[in-house]
Order: sequence, then C-alpha cells, then structure tokens
Amino acid sequence: MLPGSLDEAVAALDAVPAAVPVAGGTDLMPAINSGRLRPEALVGLGRVKEMRGWRYLEDGRALLGAGLTLARIGQPDFGALVPALAAAARTAGPPHVRNAATLGGNVVSAAPTADTLPVLVALEAEVTVAGSAGRRDVPVSHLLTGLDPLGPGEVLVCLRVPLLHAPQVYLKAQARTGPSRSAASVAVVLDPARRGVRCAVGGVAPVPLRPLDAEAWVASVIDWDGGRRIAREALAAFGDYVAAACVPEPAGAPRSEALAAERLRRTIAVLARRGLGRALA
Amino acid sequence: MTTTEETPAEGVPAQPGGAEEIDGLGASPMADTAMSKAMGTYPFATDLWAEGLLWGTLVRSPHPHARIVRINTESAFRLPGVQAVVTAADIPGDPLTGEPVADRPVLARDVVRHHGEPVAAVAADHPDTARLAAAAVEVEYELLEPVPDPERSFHAPPLHPDGNQVRHLPLRFGAPDDPAAVGEVVVEGLYRIGRQDPAPVGTEAGLAVPRPDGGVELHLSSTDPHGDRDRAAAFLGLEPERVRLVAAGVPGAVGEREDISLTAALGLLALRTGRPVKMAFSREDALLGHVHRHPAVLRYRHHADRDGRLIKVEGQLVLDGGPYADGSEETLATLVALAAGPYVVPHVRVDGWVMRTTNPPAGRLPGEGALQACFGYEAQMDKLAAKLGLDPVEMRARNVLATGDIMPTSQTVTCPAPVADLLKAVMAEPLPEVAADGGEELLPGGTGGAADLTQVRRGIGFAVGMVPLLGIEGADEVSTATVRVLPVYEDLEGAASGVECVVECAAVDTGSGFATLAAQIVRETLGVVRVRVTGADSDQPAAGPSARGRQVWVSGGAVERAAGMVRKQLLQPMADELGMSVELLSLRDDRVVSYDGRYARPIGELLGGRELWASAQYRPHPTEPLDENGQGDAFAGLAFAAMRAVVDVDVELGSVRVVEVAVAQDVGRALNPRQVRARIEAGVTLGVGAALMEDLRTDAGGRVVNASFGGYRVPTALDAPVVRVAALLEERDVVATFGAKGVGAVPAVVTPAAVAAAVRSATGRAVQRVPVRSADAVERRS
Repeated sequence: MLPGSLDEAVAALDAVPAAVPVAGGTDLMPAINSGRLRPEALVGLGRVKEMRGWRYLEDGRALLGAGLTLARIGQPDFGALVPALAAAARTAGPPHVRNAATLGGNVVSAAPTADTLPVLVALEAEVTVAGSAGRRDVPVSHLLTGLDPLGPGEVLVCLRVPLLHAPQVYLKAQARTGPSRSAASVAVVLDPARRGVRCAVGGVAPVPLRPLDAEAWVASVIDWDGGRRIAREALAAFGDYVAAACVPEPAGAPRSEALAAERLRRTIAVLARRGLGRALA
Repeated sequence: MTTTEETPAEGVPAQPGGAEEIDGLGASPMADTAMSKAMGTYPFATDLWAEGLLWGTLVRSPHPHARIVRINTESAFRLPGVQAVVTAADIPGDPLTGEPVADRPVLARDVVRHHGEPVAAVAADHPDTARLAAAAVEVEYELLEPVPDPERSFHAPPLHPDGNQVRHLPLRFGAPDDPAAVGEVVVEGLYRIGRQDPAPVGTEAGLAVPRPDGGVELHLSSTDPHGDRDRAAAFLGLEPERVRLVAAGVPGAVGEREDISLTAALGLLALRTGRPVKMAFSREDALLGHVHRHPAVLRYRHHADRDGRLIKVEGQLVLDGGPYADGSEETLATLVALAAGPYVVPHVRVDGWVMRTTNPPAGRLPGEGALQACFGYEAQMDKLAAKLGLDPVEMRARNVLATGDIMPTSQTVTCPAPVADLLKAVMAEPLPEVAADGGEELLPGGTGGAADLTQVRRGIGFAVGMVPLLGIEGADEVSTATVRVLPVYEDLEGAASGVECVVECAAVDTGSGFATLAAQIVRETLGVVRVRVTGADSDQPAAGPSARGRQVWVSGGAVERAAGMVRKQLLQPMADELGMSVELLSLRDDRVVSYDGRYARPIGELLGGRELWASAQYRPHPTEPLDENGQGDAFAGLAFAAMRAVVDVDVELGSVRVVEVAVAQDVGRALNPRQVRARIEAGVTLGVGAALMEDLRTDAGGRVVNASFGGYRVPTALDAPVVRVAALLEERDVVATFGAKGVGAVPAVVTPAAVAAAVRSATGRAVQRVPVRSADAVERRS
C-alpha cells in the first residue's frame, strides 16, 4: 500500500492492524529478507506529503518531516540550523544507507546505537504521532523510554526541534575508520538564551542518557558573558562527571566487567570533554 | 612479406592499451571477468537456478557443547511445503568427513561441539517454509561444559573420541639444552592472535541436481572441485564417478572456501527428494559454520648476544583448533617451522600444540600459521632491539636469512631469500607526509569525527616475514591441464579464418587471477591471440585446491608443459619442411615466423583444419614430513616480504588508522604486474583486518557474540591504507614455474606485525594482542 496522505496512511493501518509502516526500510527490510519478520502487509510512507520536507515554525523551532532522509539532514543547510543533528546524520552508516534511511525511522527503530537519537534527546525534540484517534505531541524521550510509546496503528509524522543559534557537537567513538556502529557517542548542545548546556550519551544504554546534574553544574561554571570561557580543569571534570553518571560501577561483577566499565567511562569522558570544548571554542 | 599486418582482433576481449605485447608474460592484461564483476552481471553461485527447485536450510546448534538426547523432525516434516528433513541418522555413507583427518560429523550425531554446528537439514518449496521447518525441528540437548580456552583443553575431559590434542610438534635445532647456549640479552613475551573470519564477499551457496543414474550434480563456488566431490561422494555413499561437481562463480575466496556441511546436505536433500535443491547461507550461517584463522597463544623467549645476534629462540605455541582437526596439523607445522622467522638462529627449542576447543572451527586462511608466528617473532625482535639500544631495522639486518642458510628445520634455503634487500627497499621509501587537510574521515576514528589533532600520534613499525608456498610436509601437489589449438570458422564456407586456443584445467580462479595467467602463458608459448580458459568441473583431471599460492606454480606448470607439447606438434612439420630445428621458429600473432623472418605462415594454415592438443601433468619436487624433532625438508618454496607501516593513533580514545603500508616483496617473477599489485593490496587489507578489527568473539559461555557484519567488522575503503610497493624483487626461483612465487599470502602475514609495531611506537604500549583493542592503544598517563 502506498498512501499519498497521512489520512490514507492512518486509514490503511487501521484497516489492516497487522500491517507495518515502512519508510526508508534500512532496518525493516533486512529483517524481512532474512525471514525474521513476515508482516501481513506493508504501508509505504514514502508518498505521504505530511511527512516530507521541513519548515520554520513561528515559535522559533523547525518542523522536520519524519520522511527526511539522513542524507538530506546531513546537507550544509541543516548543518547551519541544527549542527549536531547534521553531524550525527553524516556519521550514520555508508552513503547508500543514509540515502534511504529516514529521521523518523531512526526514532521508531530506536536502536541503542542510532546516531540521531542522542542529538534529538539533547535538543529535547518533540514528535507528532498520528493514529485513528487523532494527533498528539510527545517529547522524544518519552517515546524512546516507553513512557508514552507509539500506539497500535500510530505513525510518526514529524519532529520539532529548537533552533538555538549556538554551537552544537556530536562525537562518536567507533572501532574502525569507515562507518560503523558507535561504541559510545555524545551530543552536546548549547542554549545561550537560557544559559544552559544539554548533553546526551548514546550507545551505552537502550536509550540515550541525559546527565542532568553534570549539565547543570557545567552551565554554572561557564562564563556566559565573557565569550563562553571555561577552565580546562572544569572541562575535564565535566567529562568525568558525564561518564560517571552514564556508566554505573558494576556491583560485585567480575574483574573483566569492571575493566570494561572503566574503559567505557574513559571513552565517554574524552568524548564529552572534547564535545563541550569544541562547542565552547 | 612479414611486415606488420592487422592482427585478427575479433573475439578478443577488449584490453586496455590495445597493443599485442600486453598479452604475454610480464604484461598486465585485465581478467576476462573483471568488467562483468564490476557491473554486477557476473553469475555467482547464489544466482543459480533450476526449474522446480527446493530450498534447503540447516538447523544449527544454539549451544557450544551439548549432548543430543533426541531429535524430533515430525512437526517440521508435517508443515505444508516441506519435502525432506534429514539428520545424522539418514546419512547413507561415511558420517565423518574432514581433510586430512576425517573427524568431523557432517551432521552432529551424539554431541555438538561448537555454537552453530549443523544438526539437521531441511528442504522445502519456499525459503520461508524451510526456515520455519528448521525452527520446528525439536532437538533436546543436555548441556555440557564448554571448553573455550585452548590452554585449559589440555586437562579438560575429552571433547572428541580422538582426544583433545590434535597434534603436538616439538622442534629441536642446534643444542638448545646446552648451558652455553644462552644469550647475554634475553626477552620474553606472551602474544595472542584473534579469530579472523575469511569473510568472503559472497556467502556459501550451491545447487544440487539429482541425476538419472542415482548420482548427483553439485554446482558450488568450490575452490577444490575434486576434493569437494570426493568428500561429498564418501558422505553420500556413492562412487566418486556418480558425483559431478561444477565450479560456479566464486564470490571471493580466502583459503579454502566451501563448508562441507553445505555440500553434503545439498547432495543428501537432492537425493532424498529427487528434485534440485538450492541453499544459500546467511551471513550468520557463514560466520558460524565455516573455518576461521586459528587463534593462538604464543610464549616466546629470545636470546641474543651484545651485538644483537640471535643465539636461541624458545617458544611454547598453542593453537585453538576448534572442535575438529581440519587443516590444523599443517597450520601447526608452519607455525612451528617458521617460529623463529626469516632469521638465522643457532639454537631453537619450540613446542607447538593444536588443541580442540568448543569454539568455532579453525582451518586454512592465507598465511595460516605463518601470520601467527610473525606477530610473535617480530614483537620479540623489537623487544631485543629496544633492550640492546639498536635500531629495529639494524637488529633485523644482523640476523636475516639468505639463500644457502639453514632453517631451524634443518632445511637449506635454496630459493631466493633476499630479505636484507627487502628491508633496504622499504627503508629507502620516503615517509608519507603528515597531511592535516585529508578531512576528518582520514583521521583515526574516521567518520565518527571524534579525533583531536592534538592527541593524534604517528607511529612507524617495521616487520619482515615469510610463508611457505604449496602444501607442506609431503602433501601431493599435482595438476593436469589440456591445451588445444583449433581452427576457427567465421563463415559457413568452411575456410579457416583464424585459430583459437582452449585451456582446460580444473583449477578454479577464485579471483586470484589464474585464468588470466593461464591465457598469458599460452599466448607466450603458442603466439595465439585468442585464448579461452574453460570452467572447472570434476570431470577434468584434478588440479587441487586454489590455495597456498599453488595454482600459478602447479597448474601454471601443467599449462606451460601442455602448451609446449602443442607447440612442438605444430612446428615440427614446418621445421622438417624447411630443414631447420623447431627452436629457430617463433610463434607470434597467430603466425609462425622463422628466425630470419624469411618464412612466415599463419598457424591456421599449418593446422590444415585439424585440431592439435596435448595434456600434461605437473608435480613439483616432493617435500617430507617433519620428524619428532621438527626436522625435515617440509617446504617446496618460501616467499618473503618486508613492510613499513605508518599509523595514526588517537591516544586518548585508542582509535587507530593505518595511514600507509610500504611493501617490498620477493615475487620471483611478476608474471602480471598489475595482478601482483592487486594481490598485495588485498593481502595488506586482510592483514589490516587481522591487526585492528577482525575477531569473531565468544562470550563466557562459549557462544559466538558477533556473527554479523555489524558486529564482526571488516576493513572498509576508509580503513584500507595506501599501499606503496617499494620494490618487487624479481629473483627467479628456478624450481617454480617461470620462477614466480605466490604473492597473495605474504603481505597478509607481515601486515599485523608491522601495524602492531607502529602502534607500539605511537603509544608506548606493549600491544601483545591482535586485533589491537582501543584499550591497548590508549596512552598511559601518570
């Protein structure tokens, strides 16, 4: 089924409850081709006009269609508007995957290593979902954590992200030079209007993690009026603070796990320190 | 009358450059299949099709070690569309297979010994149905203790009726027990090598078609048609004549390719159902099922005198052979015999073991045994150099092997061994610049963008290494080829308008370039422009497996001989007529020309409508097994390479990128320089994988944790370094065909050692394990 509008898509999903919506298909189609998934029907979202394109909103945010491909989001114009999201999209797999994969699909698949998710969480993005009962807006973190999950027959229509007009960074540690899944990733977003720093860590837990205490502390030590300066020691402490908040001490675990946790913490600390350092540079 | 005329170019595959010189030896014609492979139209085994075919799939064990209590295939068989379900109980022939030791059940009977071991096979009329049926086969397991550590296998309860030790090989050379044989400087080291998967681009696939005579025809991307046929026939309880194996397009092969469980299950299912059966492995199937590089634990102690001359090498080397023997005995012999590397050592005491474990099976990959040893002995050489305050290259130069030296196996090196020259060549190569403008993807960590230039350190490492060529320890290497010259009739009038050569040989071109080389050999010998190399199948005389650099030497030798015989048949009548010897006539551009250019005739005219052909067999000089002290002439030939790796390391994150690898290699003779370079690049990339990322890991319970290309990482184009060929030393090996040495394996062998040395120099860390993990490449801070 290839509905041309959101209403048609919702109606199609309502009519065949076992149908699965598909956008870029980069996660779904391998599962289908290898026989792990055999949906009764597929509802292609590629032609749904409400999911395409993007525009400015009056409240200073941007509305991004769920069907925007990661290749599109990686373009320089998005790089100027939401730099971290564009950077994350550029690291998300090889070109042929980015050409098909969509932002909405990244959110719905919710892979722990998905690259755009830490950025969306740090931006406190809001998503709009639509179903036969109508539309509703949900914070992206509520959707990801299952606090307010996507209901049966619901599709993700668009996302709203704030335009903060300030530096943002997305960094990812990976085990090879070419595209691969992250071992850990960090998004750092500055919000100078509210004198805030927002940070999210991906790849280490089922959903991106927000080290809220570390954010609040580091925002208090940045010299917001004097060119956003920060002491070197404070930068390093922020890295350690974020790492400690995201990787717990394995309680009574074998030595190998303690060592692995230690290494992961070190990686996150380096990424967070570099991330904030670059954002403030 | 013999001035240049237009050569008949019709039917000749388009060649870059166009000049006819490019076709002979030493030129670089492109492979005939190169274009179709690049364009995606070349048919691989996964593209095979037959009317009314069934789809096969295997049921694999989810446990690394368990007793099979009961298998119930009833519910699977009752699913609509399922045509056959077979288990070990249905095997008509020999239930055990394996080369050279038949110790592997094709389908597990009583015990499963690794995660993913095949237990049953299913054929159904749709791949989904087959998968469903495989899931519906009920297998009741009684779990047994897994043995994932080869060192614990010595004392573990037997995993196999043949015991846990596949082979123990001691090597004693000189007087290692003499109290005087001790160096003033001693270094010790413990090294580990991970489990590299051959990871061919295309997974195993095949099609079995039952024959009216009760036999079966197997279409497989086999690299050893006769070996695979014989193993399948033994398993199916058929005479080998009733099993025919046709080599289908090989989508990449690294070492030996086929998984016998696929071959055997396909044959059995086709015979059971009387219908064609196709099977294509998923990546998970492939990663779990086929053989991997032997993980190794190497303990070394090197002794040297104050001048940096090696006195003694001691080693205890343990290989993880997985549950079955496969090629492990040969791997161990290579590992032990080459344990000291391409160096002259007066005293050697090495003990090697291959132990059975419940890990994924291990077998032959390029440079198997040699790669593991090279990582160990080169790390030791660097340690010695550091302790003596010597330059690592100088340390090596003082000890290198040369022609005429004696190896620790007491074999005299008779082939060219220009190790010192190779080292000089890589040393002389200019270093790459520190380019800051390459974009973030060329920094360590690459596309993740996390690299910080202030934390990136550059490291340089040197290594030399060696591999044996051909099978070792008395393996019978033999190949047969037939060369035909026949007239070609372009029109129906019957006038021969040209000639064509056909080469028939069962050597499978795995992408290693054999077909191209065979055509070059024939062009060189017979001067015929149009040469066709037919596909391989098991009806032809055996040519052996395409591995260990053997096809150019052995099958190339057979092609050369056959072509030489045809040449004689062709020229003798003309020589008699002219009253000159055959040697005074030359063949070129489809013409025979006398030495003085006075007589020239087209080959087609000499044939007079007949076809000339000859078959020839080639068998290189024999080798002998290593004795109880590891002594013997076990190798037919050796190839060497020296390398310099340059790496960039982000010392905070431990991410490594290999910037450049400079290679100097002893190739004997470059028969096709472009292919030689391509093989070296491929070998280096394989080595970079082994050095930095490729490791099929198991968890504490012995289960494979990363059986997908998401988890098992192979090098991408961004990970492949610039390969700078510093020198191809062409000192002909007189015993080898055309003096050429196999070129694919030795770069793979040396690269991990060179990359690890470079990471050591960048980080100051010990790096005792490949693949190098990021935690081992992080700079220690106080």
